[in-house]
Parts: sequence; C-alpha cells; structure tokens
Amino acid sequence: MRPLLLLLPFLSACGTPGAAPTDDTPAKEVNVYSHRHSDTDAQLFKAFTAATGIRVNLVMADDDEVLTRMEQEGANSPCDLLITSDAGRLGQARMRGLLQPIRSAELERNIPPFLRDPDGHWFGLTMRARVFVYNKNKVRPEQLTDYNDLVRPEWKGRVLVRSAENLYNQSLLAAMVAHFGTETALAWATGITVNMARTPKGSDTDQLLAVAEGIGDVAIANSYYVGKLMSSSEPEKAKARENLAVAFPHMGPYGTHVNVSGAGVAKSAKHLAEAIALLEFLVGEEAQRLFAEGNKEYPVRPGVAVADVLQRFGELTPDTLDLAQLGLNNATAVKLFDKAGWR
Amino acid sequence: MVVVVTAPFHAPAPEWSHVYRDVLPMHLLETILLLGGTVLLTVVIGVLSAWLVAAYSFPLRGAMRWMLVLPLALPTYISAYTYASLFGATGTISLWVHDLSGFRPDIVGLPGLIVVMALVLFPYVYLPARAVFASGLREQLEAARMLGARGSRRFLRVAVPLARPAIVGGAVLVAMETLNDYGAVKYYGIRTLTTAVFRSWTGLSDLGSALRVAILLLLLVVLLLWWERRSRIHRQQATDAVPMVRQRLTGKRAALATIWCLLVLVSGFLLPAGKLLLDAFTIDRTDTWAIDLIALRNTLGIATGAAFLTLLIALFLVFILRHERKSWTHGLVRAATLGYAVPGAVIAVGVMTAAGTIDRQAGLSFTLIGTIGLLLYAFTVRFLAVAVQPLQGSLTRQHSNVDDAARMLGASPGRIFLRVNLPQLRPAILAAAMLVAIDVVKELPLTLILRPFNFNTLSTRVFEMARIEQLREAAAPALLIVLCVLPPLLFLDRQLARSEG
Repeated sequence: MRPLLLLLPFLSACGTPGAAPTDDTPAKEVNVYSHRHSDTDAQLFKAFTAATGIRVNLVMADDDEVLTRMEQEGANSPCDLLITSDAGRLGQARMRGLLQPIRSAELERNIPPFLRDPDGHWFGLTMRARVFVYNKNKVRPEQLTDYNDLVRPEWKGRVLVRSAENLYNQSLLAAMVAHFGTETALAWATGITVNMARTPKGSDTDQLLAVAEGIGDVAIANSYYVGKLMSSSEPEKAKARENLAVAFPHMGPYGTHVNVSGAGVAKSAKHLAEAIALLEFLVGEEAQRLFAEGNKEYPVRPGVAVADVLQRFGELTPDTLDLAQLGLNNATAVKLFDKAGWR
Repeated sequence: MVVVVTAPFHAPAPEWSHVYRDVLPMHLLETILLLGGTVLLTVVIGVLSAWLVAAYSFPLRGAMRWMLVLPLALPTYISAYTYASLFGATGTISLWVHDLSGFRPDIVGLPGLIVVMALVLFPYVYLPARAVFASGLREQLEAARMLGARGSRRFLRVAVPLARPAIVGGAVLVAMETLNDYGAVKYYGIRTLTTAVFRSWTGLSDLGSALRVAILLLLLVVLLLWWERRSRIHRQQATDAVPMVRQRLTGKRAALATIWCLLVLVSGFLLPAGKLLLDAFTIDRTDTWAIDLIALRNTLGIATGAAFLTLLIALFLVFILRHERKSWTHGLVRAATLGYAVPGAVIAVGVMTAAGTIDRQAGLSFTLIGTIGLLLYAFTVRFLAVAVQPLQGSLTRQHSNVDDAARMLGASPGRIFLRVNLPQLRPAILAAAMLVAIDVVKELPLTLILRPFNFNTLSTRVFEMARIEQLREAAAPALLIVLCVLPPLLFLDRQLARSEG
C-alpha cells in the first residue's frame, strides 16, 4: 500500500494538457514555446483565452535549448508558436527550418517592415533599445551621442557593461558587424573592454545600480530594465532613480540599436489558425498596451503610447537594420568578443 | 549516455578550432582553480567540524551535530545569488560597510565563489568524516592517547589518515557538484568547462563543439573517480562500529569550538536562508504565490516519480552486481552511474537526441520529448549514482553466506534477492529514495529543457524570476525548495546518527 501512496502526487502532476483532450470535442488550443518573461505574458494569455476560448499551453526554456528541442521533435513537435526575446534567435529558427511563412494583413499592417521577416516567418512583438545610462551629476548627455564615444580615452575605468556571454551584447556587436564589418566591430569591443570599470559581472540592472554607487559613470543596458528600475518603488533603488539619466546613442549614420522580442509559427504547427489568432492578438491594442505599461517595452504597433517613464528618457530613433542580420552574425560577434578580451 | 559519447565523432563541429584555441585554455584553468579551491576549503571546514563534533564535548555540540548538515538544503545557485545580493558590489551589507569605512566588499569573483560554494557543499565531506570519526576509530585513538599523543597530534596523525577514504569520497562529490554548477558560476563570471559547453552551444550555435567539451568534462570526472578508487584500495577501512568517547572541553577551548561551529552554520545556512525569508515576505505581490504553490505540487510529483523509477533501476543493477558475477557487470554499473558527473543540460540534450531518433525510427505520431516519462527517465540517467551508492554500500555488508545457503537449497538468484537481500535493504532503499528526491527538487537545467507544457517546478520558477532580474520574487520558491529538502535531509541525518552511536 505504501508504495502506491507514494505514487499519488506523481500521478496528479501528470495531468498536463497538451497532447490528448479529455473530452470528445477537439479542444481549441495553441502550444507555445517561449523564452520571454512569465508574468505579463501569463496575463495576456489569460485575456486571449477569455476573448477567444482558445487555451494556451506554455513551455518556457532558454532560446537555443528550445530550438534544439524543436529540431529533435521534428515533424511531431507539438509546438505551434515560438516566442523568443531576441531577433537573432528567430532568424536562426528560420535558417534551421523550424518556422513556416504566414500571411496576415493584420500583422503586416501593424508591424513596421524592419521589425518582421519579409517573408512572414517571424514577427516582432515588442522593441527594446540598448542605451547608455549615466550619472547625471558627472556626465553631460552631449558626451554620449554615439556608441563609439565610449571608446575615447576620457572614459577609461568608467564604463560598466555585462558579460559578452549575454545575448543582448552579442546582438549589439552583430549589428555593428552588419553595418561596418568585423574590423570596426572588433575595434569597438576592444575599446570598451579597455575602458571597463571592472570585469563584467551581474545583470543589466546590476550595472545601473553600480553607476548609482559610483563604481562607474556610464552603463550599457536594455531600455526595459532601465524603465523597470526607474518606476520601481524599492527603497534600495532610490539612489539610482535620483541620479541616473538615459542617452540614446547612434551607430554612426544609423539610429540606436534595437532588438525585438517576437514570434514565429512553427513548421510543425497543428493548430495553425489558433497560432495566427494568438499572434494577431499579441499585436492588438490591448496586448501592446500591456507590453508597454507592464514591461516598459516599446510597442511595435503604431499609435500605442509608450510608457511615461520611457518617454521621459527622450526620443528613440531606431536603427532600421534588417534584424535577421543579428542571427547571421552572432557567432562572429562571439568570436570577436573573445579576441577583444571582453569576458 | 551513449549519445553524448558517440556524438562528437560524427557531429559537425565547425567552430572547434576557435573553441580549442581561444576558449578552452582559460576555461580549463579557471575550472581547475575553482575545483582546487573549493575542494580544499570544503575539506578544511568539513573535517575540522566533523572532528570537533565527534571527538569533543562543548556547549551546543548536540545541536551543532545535526545543524551543520543544513547547508545541503540550499542549492548552490540560490546561495550564490543570495550572497551576491548581500555582499556583491551593490549588495545590502556591502553598501553599509562602504558607508561606514569607505571599503567596498565585492564577493562576486573567483575567491568569493570558492567561499560561497564551500560553505554550501562542505556537508558532503562533513557527513562521512563525522561517521568515521564518531564510530570507527576508538581503538586506534585510545592507543594513540596512551602513547602520549596530544589532541591535535592524534587528530592529524591518526584520525585524518584513517578517515582518508571517506574524506576523499566526500571531496569527489564536492568536485562533481562544483563541475556541474551553471547558475552560480555564470552569475559570478567564472569561466568553467560547463559554461564553455553552453557557450559553444548557444553563443556559437555549435552543438558538436559543445559535446566535445562535455567529453572533456567527463574525462576530468573519470580521473577524479579513478583517484578516489585508488585511495580506497590501498587503505584499510576502519570497520569497528564502537562509538567514540568524547573529551570534554572547557573554558577558552570550549568557546572556540562553539564559535567555529556557529560561524559555519550562520554563514553556510542561516544567513542566506534568513535573507530568503526576508525577501519572500516583503514583496507586495500576492499573485505569484499561487503559481509557486502549483510549482510546489509539480516538484513533489516529479521528485517522487523520479525516486521511484531510479530506485527500480538501481535495485536491478545492484541485483546484477550481487548475483551475476560476470566481467562486464562492474563496467556496466560504473558507466550507468556516470550520469552524475555530466551537466544536467548535456544529459537533456543526449536524451532529447535519443528520443528524437526513436520517434523517427519507430514512426511515432507524437513526440516523446516533453512527456513526463522522458523527464523522469532523464532524471534517472542523471541520478542513478545517488541511488546505487547507498544500496551497494548496504548490500556489501550482507554476508554472502546466507545467499549461498539459499542457493544450495535451490532458490533462483531472483528469489534470493527478493526474499533475502531486499528486506535487509529497506533502510538503504529509503535513504536512496530520499537522496534522489532531494537532488531532483534542487535540479534546474535538465528540468528547464525537458519539461512538458504548462509545467513549472520550484527551481524553474527561481530561474525565471532571477532571469528577469526580479530576485525578490525568486525568494519564495527558493524558500519552498529549502523547506521541501529539509525534512528528508534531517531524517537521513538521524539515521546516520543512529548508526554512529
């Protein structure tokens, strides 16, 4: 009897939805593999189910592991929609034959062309900019108009940025490679490494807190982390809120480096209509507003207001580089970081 | 396991020359430094604490005896994050120290990581050392005392050498846990072989290179295991189970002993756990608790399921070892238990690849990946060693005389196992089940990759919250992990204590 009792909790955890519906009518559902935040998304998926009656089944994992899993699952993969937090990975998913092209007037109308795949394999849902955050008591914004400014000798020992192992840094460098080639990109990476206040450690938010503490004077970080920090009410972050400001550097003649968090329909999708419905919902007004307000991300849909806190930072002029380039140049970027000594 | 070993030989590894030249050297160096430092520190803390608690009597000794096991309830990555939030460059305590003195402590770095990991992993050495000190050495130590050796001399020249196999066994476990860690190591910016595996896999999109680095990792572990076997063979195991007579400490020496133990306990467990408690109850969002409770249910479910499955296979293996003495049985068991040495994520990839192949060959209409069954299977691959060890240890203490008698009476090996060996194995089975369950509750990377839809466990919740830099929200599931692991941990310790007298 005892061994059977032990099995009970195990069996109850087995009741996961997904493959077989429990009643006779085919359950309307969509299976999502995601590498995004959990909480705002959970809210959105619930709202989607309430509006359409389609259930959302979610698996979250790290980007590349999700792609490898999809590859191994092959045609039997239950994944209908793949959501990532970086455009590079979406490009990779396309290259590895994991996505299928879809047409949707709704998506094409509401997402600017440079934020989606031209053939409809993937679509950006939110935008994030990689910006400079500086100590406003020590730095004037005029000193920070271009990414290259931080390479100048006057910044030695004052720059804070996270590890090169992080995808956002890799995408930034990949964009530089796409625009200017490997030599220039390497020169930039090396210059930044020389100017670092400490060997990279911690997250984007850690860099911001470190600037507030005076460990460095400028940090490179993603806009939504800055947004979250500036609108948080935690007392430990007060020093940061009072002393930090944001600059939007340009990349030479191009705008500020942006990336998207986006989604693509899986080639193996069994619930095609539902997947497209979810995509269109995520680009709808309600969802875009929630992304903007809840997560402090830039909405892709024209006409949706950017969160107040982000607006106060200043005007964003995005670099309109074809984001598929980010995935293509990722490996190159990683190798350049190694050469530059950026840990 | 087979996939991981054979893949490098036919998987493309386009970036290998870069990995080999620019990535591996530094990663190998830092891995060895981290390993060396952590093992050294855990041995010092573990052996010293075990000796104090086993050989002497001092205030709070009784409580310290079992409380020094508590750090095992904290997964290394949780302890690492918590310490960083306290002593990192912008950590709470660091800022306070900076305001007072101008000095800015920053624990995030190689030395800091060695200390943090040692504080959490030392029980792996403490437990076996304590067992030997407490009940195996009485006669030798008495002899030494009669010959006039002082306490410290008896300790260094008699107790430690005789306990060496146990200490080395514990040290090897510490080494494997250190090698395996990904969360803590990555957060502190240390480059180890495990991070090199992930770097090749995700950064360079080169699974082939990643697997080759994983092979290197395996080789390192095989080396460690070989060294451990060597140290065991040439030593006589102290076998008498006579409990030690403890010497009473007084005055300054008693105070020092108590202070040492308290220091270890506070820094290894109370401080990080306290911070978790504080964080968990100061967040003002209540909706995360509901998700965490579901994660709790799932965690308990897979822990039980994995323990069950692992035990089944472990019992089978141990049965083979006992009753079918062929030349390849030892090799088979050792190969099967190597999974403990491989990073969870690598096992996940291996299992995924194998499952994908099966899907294709068998023409299945659904995929095996993402089923609970496959997840449990992967746990078994990973934690088989954890179950086999206590079972094997207990089984070897059963004399084969009874087996032989039964065989002469005509019983088949299976029957002997079921009727003779199994009943006596019951405490070991319970211990093995609990150890596997504890490890599954704490596990992260493998669960993250292979889990089914809508399936959160406590460790994946901690990871997700930490990943979006909401460390406060990570505290609640982290605390739940600790609470899940504590009861079986303490129960196991009581069992051990009973056998130590």
